[in-house]
Amino acid sequence: MIVREHRGGVALIRLSRPDQRNALTPGAMADLVRAVRETTAGSLVLAGDGPVFCAGFDLKRCAEDAGAMPALLRGLSEAVIALRALPGPVVVAAHGAAIAGGCALLGGADVVVADRGCRLGYPVVRIGVSPAVSAPFLRGAVGDGPARAGMLDPGLVSGDEAARLGLVHELVESPDLVMPRALELAAALAAKPPWAVAATRAWLREIEDAEAGAERGLAASMSLVNGEEERRLLAAAVRRP
Amino acid sequence: MPGLVQLEVAGRIATLTLHRPEARNALSLDLLADLHARVDELAARADVTVLVVTGAGKAFCAGMDLKAVGSEDGLRHGLHRRLLQSLADFALKLRGLPMVSVARVNGAAIGGGCGLATVCDLAVTHCDSKMGFPEVDLGVCPAVVAPWLVRKIGAGRARRVLLCGGVMSGQRAWELGIVDRVVPTPADLDGAVAEVAGRLATGGPGAVRATKALLNDLDGSLDAATARRGAEVSAGVLETPEAQAMLRARLGGGA
Repeated sequence: MIVREHRGGVALIRLSRPDQRNALTPGAMADLVRAVRETTAGSLVLAGDGPVFCAGFDLKRCAEDAGAMPALLRGLSEAVIALRALPGPVVVAAHGAAIAGGCALLGGADVVVADRGCRLGYPVVRIGVSPAVSAPFLRGAVGDGPARAGMLDPGLVSGDEAARLGLVHELVESPDLVMPRALELAAALAAKPPWAVAATRAWLREIEDAEAGAERGLAASMSLVNGEEERRLLAAAVRRP
Repeated sequence: MPGLVQLEVAGRIATLTLHRPEARNALSLDLLADLHARVDELAARADVTVLVVTGAGKAFCAGMDLKAVGSEDGLRHGLHRRLLQSLADFALKLRGLPMVSVARVNGAAIGGGCGLATVCDLAVTHCDSKMGFPEVDLGVCPAVVAPWLVRKIGAGRARRVLLCGGVMSGQRAWELGIVDRVVPTPADLDGAVAEVAGRLATGGPGAVRATKALLNDLDGSLDAATARRGAEVSAGVLETPEAQAMLRARLGGGA
């Protein structure tokens, strides 16, 4: 479900499982990590096909297969770290919805484009999962106060509100305008002197040092995996229509 | 030779003016040396509780003196390294002052100039001042200013501002949190700065000093190792043949 393309100097990675709102399976996550690591273009756009960018992990798979959730959590951490480690900037085209694991991918973005009506958030405590894996990256993106609220409160926010919080940086009026704007921004970033951009990205990564907390975040999320609470709440979530 | 930096004290409020208007107050080694000297004087002034930092003429500060860093001679003599280290050390010194600092951004504040405004505790400007960090567009790396911008507006916003480069209006800088107050026109600036400085000066000097020291401690402001390493990173990028070629082309010296 991971599609790779090149558009000029811009690499484009698309999540493509539109009938499942691009819900991530362990296999897709592993492919995403590989695709990101192999990116050599001046900049990268991460986008999704169909009605939404990404609805998060494939929960049905997680309920059926005890190995899926840990693989997805580890893969998510690796994906965000891989995005941040690229020399070129990353633009995420978050149209329609970016939820749970889908919203967590925003932690690897330099610029996030979304539509005003987009729904974003981490409603995962409701299914017994901790979004701790994303915490080190989210607090850098939006600051400690909003990160705290965003991860503990299972509600979703609109694109407008996400822009106010700093989770989204460019708003467009409708979902179909997200990808063109993201590609435009990525092309402008790819046209900048690559050595200067790479050095600046590396320095920002060094001084922010969100990676230092990545292991602890992952461990906190992993500590709940396949526990009684998670199995019960996950099963209930999958049964809900 | 008249100083490149003027320091005036009126009551509890001191004003530090970058005074090299013919070069838009660009940061040369001489100007930075004067800045260091004036701020060293200020550090001992227990009677001053507020410092206003501003620029003479139309600009606040156009940033690093590119003529110095873009010449082969300058490079050979390590001028760029001295300049960047001096700026990094000055930022630490300015931030470490016991009084509250207010940047009066009267006009263009570019690159290191915008960095100076960011190091101040507060910044005031008008809607149409030009502010920003176009370093990446010029093929160089804003590593000295990056930690200060991250402290001021957070890592996420700083990342975007620095990677996207360019310049922005004072209004936009206010929206992003780079400045704390914006007034409609340049003519409104003096009134606004006088109001802010006057209010800040009503604070008990001991309370202000203790609060600022704590904030500096909490956000790692006085982390000299990071500040100096920023100068190293920036110098390293400046020395690359790609960056040098771009700077020389821009300065009209031939690539």
